Amino acid sequence: MDGLLNLWHATGIANFTFPALIMIAVGCLLLYLAIARSFEPLLLLPIGFGAILTNIPVAGLSDPGGLLYYVYHIGIDSGVFPLLIFMGVGALTDFSALIANPRMLLLGAAAQFGIFATLFGAILLNFIPGFEFSLQDASAIAIIGGADGPTAIFLASKLAPDLLGAIAVAAYSYMALVPIIQPPIMRALTTKEEREIQMPQLRAVSKKEKIIFPLMVLSLTILFLPAATPLVGMFCLGNLMRESGVVDRLSNSAQNEIINITTIFLGLAVGSKLAADKFLTVETIGILVLGALAFAIGTASGVFMAKGLNKFSKSPINPLVGAAGVSAVPMAARVVNKVGLESNPHNFLLMHAMGPNVAGVLGSAVAAGILLAIVG
Amino acid sequence: MDIGGLLSTAASLMITGMIGVFIFLTILISAVTLMSRLMNRFDEPNSNEPVRAAKIHSQQGVPQAHIAAISAAIAQFRNKQK
Repeated sequence: MDGLLNLWHATGIANFTFPALIMIAVGCLLLYLAIARSFEPLLLLPIGFGAILTNIPVAGLSDPGGLLYYVYHIGIDSGVFPLLIFMGVGALTDFSALIANPRMLLLGAAAQFGIFATLFGAILLNFIPGFEFSLQDASAIAIIGGADGPTAIFLASKLAPDLLGAIAVAAYSYMALVPIIQPPIMRALTTKEEREIQMPQLRAVSKKEKIIFPLMVLSLTILFLPAATPLVGMFCLGNLMRESGVVDRLSNSAQNEIINITTIFLGLAVGSKLAADKFLTVETIGILVLGALAFAIGTASGVFMAKGLNKFSKSPINPLVGAAGVSAVPMAARVVNKVGLESNPHNFLLMHAMGPNVAGVLGSAVAAGILLAIVG
Repeated sequence: MDIGGLLSTAASLMITGMIGVFIFLTILISAVTLMSRLMNRFDEPNSNEPVRAAKIHSQQGVPQAHIAAISAAIAQFRNKQK
């Protein structure tokens, strides 16, 4: 009889707690969003599964000694995984649209206002009882507005590891929701005439310029913002491997195998942070609300900046491309193209939006560097 | 720190952060523009002849032979549509 009782105590059914069950349901919801709705499936699938694994009773996958515990400590606590992903993103990024029209960097800069405004908003939330965000917490939450998963995870692992699960889930969920969040804001802030503006074709960019560009970005980061060099450095390495054309094998690995392997473990490790005691808090709701706000403000400020640039620029600039300044490559650029086509079926803005889009990646890496330098 | 103190820190962080991002990316803009100019200047002497040839070519517009070929193709396509 004792043996049977012991066996019963070793089953999952006897050990489930209600919060853990809710978290397993959250994991299943993420799986559903990934599989049935195709919301960022590459990340939400491993994150959702990680959330299920970490909440399994008895197995203790996230306790010291468990698989997820090690994956988290090796990959995220150390900051290695987001940086490896950034190298892959660098190898996947083509900067020619930005080099051809460098003023688009201003749009990438303006959209970062979403980050800094949300930082202020997160501190404001402290007036509501139950919220106690420190400046570090607020900075880590605000970076969701950068719409850049690896940057958000990197900064959160440095500044607010306890909030990492909620921040990563919010960042990736909202990136998947870019086609839903952005268009209404873009339409509300522009007139039909503005949306119809056609932009002149971009000039061709030479191979030499493309090779020098990542080196130049790195040199400027070293000179002015060394705190951002982990992110920018890995990004530039990936991009140089791509553009130099002499290490295609390495560039291909960075774009495919390395980024894919890292994505699996990054997702699992983020999922492992979705433990009931950390996630089922009022702070998570705050983070989700602030994240949406950060996206909306970033989109709006990008559009406003593009409107301003259009007033002073000799060549016309369609204000819609400003919305792509919030990185979320290439989703945001595609959204710009789509909204542009609604107003004028012959106006293809995709290439023009890629400029601010990749500028947004640099912008959020710079913003993360600034936050690390000041708050970290 | 009380909330008021945190708020003023957050506000100053917001302003310094935005200024920082803008300054950094503005420097990058001038650097990229400068680089592109230098590159084009260095490239020109080497590839002087082909560039000129191309310019002359483009001044004359599309070659007659091409126009003829394209019109023929269009005519053929339209005939097929009927």
